[in-house]
Amino acid sequence: MAKFKVDKNSEGLLTPVLNFEAEIIVPETYKSFTFIYNGKQFTVNGSELKPDYLAFEIRLKLESLLSSSLIMELSKHSRKTEYLRGFSLRKISVYAEGTLANLRYVYNDKFLEFGSVLVIPPYKDWSKLCKVPLTIKTDAVSNVKSLYELLTEICRSAVTVYTNVNTVNEILKILLQSIRV
Amino acid sequence: MQSFFMETRVKQPIYINGVPTYDLYLEKYPDKEDLYINSVLATELPAGDYYEFIKPTLFGYFDEICQLFNDNTEIEIQHETYLPLSIQVNGKYVFKIEHESTIFTVDTELGLSEIRNISNKIENVFKFKIIPLLKRAGLYG
Repeated sequence: MAKFKVDKNSEGLLTPVLNFEAEIIVPETYKSFTFIYNGKQFTVNGSELKPDYLAFEIRLKLESLLSSSLIMELSKHSRKTEYLRGFSLRKISVYAEGTLANLRYVYNDKFLEFGSVLVIPPYKDWSKLCKVPLTIKTDAVSNVKSLYELLTEICRSAVTVYTNVNTVNEILKILLQSIRV
Repeated sequence: MQSFFMETRVKQPIYINGVPTYDLYLEKYPDKEDLYINSVLATELPAGDYYEFIKPTLFGYFDEICQLFNDNTEIEIQHETYLPLSIQVNGKYVFKIEHESTIFTVDTELGLSEIRNISNKIENVFKFKIIPLLKRAGLYG
């Protein structure tokens, strides 16, 4: 996996639009597949994704990523009316043992990013997230006390993070299924 | 505990070399067993006997924090919250908070659960032990 990004944006729009982009490189063939959803159509390398029910299934899972409790937590720190929610994987590094990435949650102008988290395969134990070295970045808080509260919230949301990572894996499975890999 | 330093501010000044002083710098040097206030041996100040009386308790509280670690450890604590800003073990950062512009960055080799346990312990020792003791001695607030 080289890219995974989903957001729901309503800035300047009447209704929010779900956008998704993922890039998968199949190791056996080194062939790259770019999946894009622009709120209307799901495409794979520019061609429409078939069958339709796969697109529907993916949309449901993408929506669930955008309902993460960590995005809800960020919403407490933004004074603006909701116009953007986002979830993406950044700094993706693929090793023989698995894939590590930073998880980035966005709400309006606020973000929370932490990693490196084992994304593929997911941690077997959800509580592992708070037992491993991490780098956390955020602009959601303004002082050290609130930062510590946010760190606590990350641990409290460890099950959610685990679910989010599993959802990413399920989406990847469906995407691979759609290209018959 | 080998050494510590801590800045405090008091409403009632203490007299150091005859000068009323509000901003204090409490310190224990690595090679000495005494408490120093603004680089002056605490026992030489007007309330020196009382400072000497509270010294073992005060140092004991710092020892409580140090007992969380086995190795040579240096902890930087934020003065407003008493929460750790950085922890170095044997000269290597195992936890560090950086703040640049609007962005906070936390780098931790320790798990967040461990960081929470450590920070809770340090915060409680300061809030409920060190600060009340310093207040009683007129060295804080």
